[in-house]
Amino acid sequence: MKYQSFVGLEIHIQLISKTKVFCSCPNHFGDEPNSNVCPVCLGYPGALPSLNEEAVFKALKVCKALDCYINEKVIFDRKNYFYPDMPKNYQITQFESPFGVDGFFNLELDDGSIKKIRIHDVHLEEDAGKMIHDGYQSRLDYNRAGTPLLEIVTEPDLVAGRDAELFVQQFRQMVRYLDVTDGNMEEGSLRCDANTSINLPGKGLGTKTEVKNLNSSRFVNKALTYEIKRHGKVIDKGGEIIQETRLWDEKTSTSKSMRTKEDSHDYRYFPEPDLPPYRVTDVLMKEVEDSMVELPNDRKKRYMDDLKLSFDQAAFITGERKTADWFDSLLSIGSDANQAASWLSGDIQKILNKEDVLLENSPFIPKRIKELFELINDKKISNNIGKEVLQAIFKEDKDPSVIVKDKGLEQVSDSGAVEKIVEEVLAAHPAVVDAVRAGDDKQVGFLMGQLMKATGGKVNPQMAREIIVNKIKLDISGDSQSRDPKIIEKGSEK
Amino acid sequence: MSIKSDRWQNLLSDDSLWKSYNEYVNKWEKSIGSFLQFDADKTKGDSSSDGLLKGMPFGVKDNIAVKGFDMTCGSKILENFNCPYTSTAVQKLQGAGAVVVGKMNMDEFGMGSSTDNSALGETNNPWDKSRVAGGSSGGSAASVAAGQVPFALGSDTGGSVRQPASFCGVYGLKPTYGTVSRYGLTAYASSLETIGICAESTAITRDVFNTMKGIDNMDNTTVDYKPSGKDDTEIIAVLKVGENDLSEDVLNSYRVSQQRLKDLGYKLIEVELPTLKYVVPAYYVIATAEASANLARFNGIRYGLAQKGAETPSDLMQMSRNSGFGDEVKLRILLGTYVLRSGFQDQYYHRAQKIRTAILNDFNRIFEEADALMLPVFPTAAFRHGSSDLTQLQQKAADLYTCSANLAGLPALAVPSTIEKGLPVGVQFTAPAFEEERLFRISEKLEEIFPAQKPEGFSEEWKI
Repeated sequence: MKYQSFVGLEIHIQLISKTKVFCSCPNHFGDEPNSNVCPVCLGYPGALPSLNEEAVFKALKVCKALDCYINEKVIFDRKNYFYPDMPKNYQITQFESPFGVDGFFNLELDDGSIKKIRIHDVHLEEDAGKMIHDGYQSRLDYNRAGTPLLEIVTEPDLVAGRDAELFVQQFRQMVRYLDVTDGNMEEGSLRCDANTSINLPGKGLGTKTEVKNLNSSRFVNKALTYEIKRHGKVIDKGGEIIQETRLWDEKTSTSKSMRTKEDSHDYRYFPEPDLPPYRVTDVLMKEVEDSMVELPNDRKKRYMDDLKLSFDQAAFITGERKTADWFDSLLSIGSDANQAASWLSGDIQKILNKEDVLLENSPFIPKRIKELFELINDKKISNNIGKEVLQAIFKEDKDPSVIVKDKGLEQVSDSGAVEKIVEEVLAAHPAVVDAVRAGDDKQVGFLMGQLMKATGGKVNPQMAREIIVNKIKLDISGDSQSRDPKIIEKGSEK
Repeated sequence: MSIKSDRWQNLLSDDSLWKSYNEYVNKWEKSIGSFLQFDADKTKGDSSSDGLLKGMPFGVKDNIAVKGFDMTCGSKILENFNCPYTSTAVQKLQGAGAVVVGKMNMDEFGMGSSTDNSALGETNNPWDKSRVAGGSSGGSAASVAAGQVPFALGSDTGGSVRQPASFCGVYGLKPTYGTVSRYGLTAYASSLETIGICAESTAITRDVFNTMKGIDNMDNTTVDYKPSGKDDTEIIAVLKVGENDLSEDVLNSYRVSQQRLKDLGYKLIEVELPTLKYVVPAYYVIATAEASANLARFNGIRYGLAQKGAETPSDLMQMSRNSGFGDEVKLRILLGTYVLRSGFQDQYYHRAQKIRTAILNDFNRIFEEADALMLPVFPTAAFRHGSSDLTQLQQKAADLYTCSANLAGLPALAVPSTIEKGLPVGVQFTAPAFEEERLFRISEKLEEIFPAQKPEGFSEEWKI
């Protein structure tokens, strides 16, 4: 590659909180337009903001997870610009002294290597309302106005579109683990703007462009890949990149200019006089630290290192915190990690996908799965019956022991009884027996199948296999005279 | 003087009393125009609470929210704005039994020193109708001086309570910043202003202040009230003024006040405030910067004047603001926008903040040797309407004695002093933060011997 490329992201997440960030209106998506409003979030004359502690707490959690330096004196600023969906025509945000600065995020690349992405800052601000253009009318809904928004700004440490895509995915996973946002990109609770520039190696950053309107991590990748290529073409032709904001158009898979630097706003930032500097106390920071959870990449590494899970299994299980928590609780009551991992990523997930149910909402409570494993491990049921029992747990919402009993699925492990059934099967298939005897061991599988069919799978398969093999081989190694001629006859009948 | 026993006690419950009171208010209104809205039918007030201020009617500057009343801020842009909520300060007064009877005229959004900048009415000085009542809380001060109400709330950003109080001969308190909630006070310059009180006596001023003060969850800038406990004053610092700093009348009054204080047994020391010459530029930089953002919300979309004929939201905002704001408001928004431009903040905004610290240091130095500081309120007595006495620029420059307390966040009380050529002149006392009681005690001592004079036509029994 001729040029070096640089990518930085600005990610906005809508924080989960009972109330808006500066008033007591509910912070709730999807309500009747303009139902969650009051003098404060509508910017009525005389109304003042008062800071929501829950939003502060969640902002600090993200700062902590990104290993940011927490400013002692956190200052809110006014960012001034006119827009109909912004009631006060200034946004309360943070500029000079936000909650967190100078953090980093360990990004795991496709090859499994870790790249440290520096975080410039994490700041808390208020969201705007929504303006809906509807023919000749513009309608305004202020339900979202004043809801808490956290902006995370990275340094331009990402290199390509794929890096940025991974960053968005892993970052999203992290903030969902922290339970600070639902991270839904389609609903806009996680929004991403991407900056990019290119330059000849060693020349530092180039002139950057910003791409907005990226509502999936895949689009982030596509848009950045497009932009980097576009920059290259412009510079190859001897042109210059114009510093501008561009909009990504998914329909055409191109970006187009939205506004250039010349018509960019002078936001005239100044400290918000209605909110005194916020001091983060040691007591609060201790509470934040106590509330922290093991982050997804750490958890994945632990599963691989300590539990010897495969990368895919660990990645799958740690994908959602609730899945990993479920897994951990299954282990904590004594189940084996490998068995749990393979069932979880295999049959359990298959059922959940098919039925479109979340693990945490499903009848698969860890206690039941543990019981299922014990039935299998104690050879009370076979692995295959186990799968059937799993289906039944989902359908009937009952404990596995109850299902096994109700359906009479307990496997036959009494050697006398098994021997009797084996004899019947062998007698029914003399030709196959001959083949096995002649050395075609694969045919044992056929006999096993017949056996399972005859017993509804309830026979202890290991025991049955041993008996089959022993029976046939004993005949081989033993006295050939003692062969029962009837068997040959029957075999030749075929 | 106890409020309990005073003449306002039965006004709201006694219909015949109320009727003569109404006539009295209306008579004064014809000549002074202090109210923008008067609740003659007593439909908006609620006097059910039994408290310190039981039955007391009061006026509220029209930039403070009272549910059921309009809140115009003296501006066309809010002429039709009916207020859906009540400010914390008014709520507390209502809780103590006081009743809002009307909304008082003011300079548009508090920007002015005469109330002539009101877009909705003219207010005259009760002592001389050709003169202004001062501003921006001119309606509040005039109504108290005329005996229409025992007290009225104002707001003081750079002297807007104390200067009209001085012009009209009433008591005017600007409390310590953060002691009275600003929730419900339409913001002009948030870091400077407080809700203040114009009142006919020190005792009422004290009771109203004590009722309103306190931490409010709706205003994060309110603070714990922590006075030193030293309420009595021995030493009063007196700001040294030159012959040319004040008009002859005000200078004379200032000297009389000093003599009275000496006679009352206070020890006086003369002091200077070296940073005083910088306070007006610093004040106007900070006030206009904050105003430029605070007034951005008035755009004709959610409430207030919405100019017809707009094609786009942006048109609507521009047209509404253009026709809704008066010249002085536009001037200050422009100034504020100018000083906040990117690249110019060090030159203006940040520099002004440094002056702010310097003036506070100046005050603190004085308060190491003195319990309180006396200074003039305004260089002149009430001036005539228009610009014949003082131009708009001269009016701004004259804010220096009052706006220093706003920059420093200190309490300051204007006290009526003498009558000069038929016009009242006041003097101002300031003290360290939270020392309002110290100011009240000085004021009370003066009031005992030299009570506030009343203008012609004033009647304690509301007799015309």
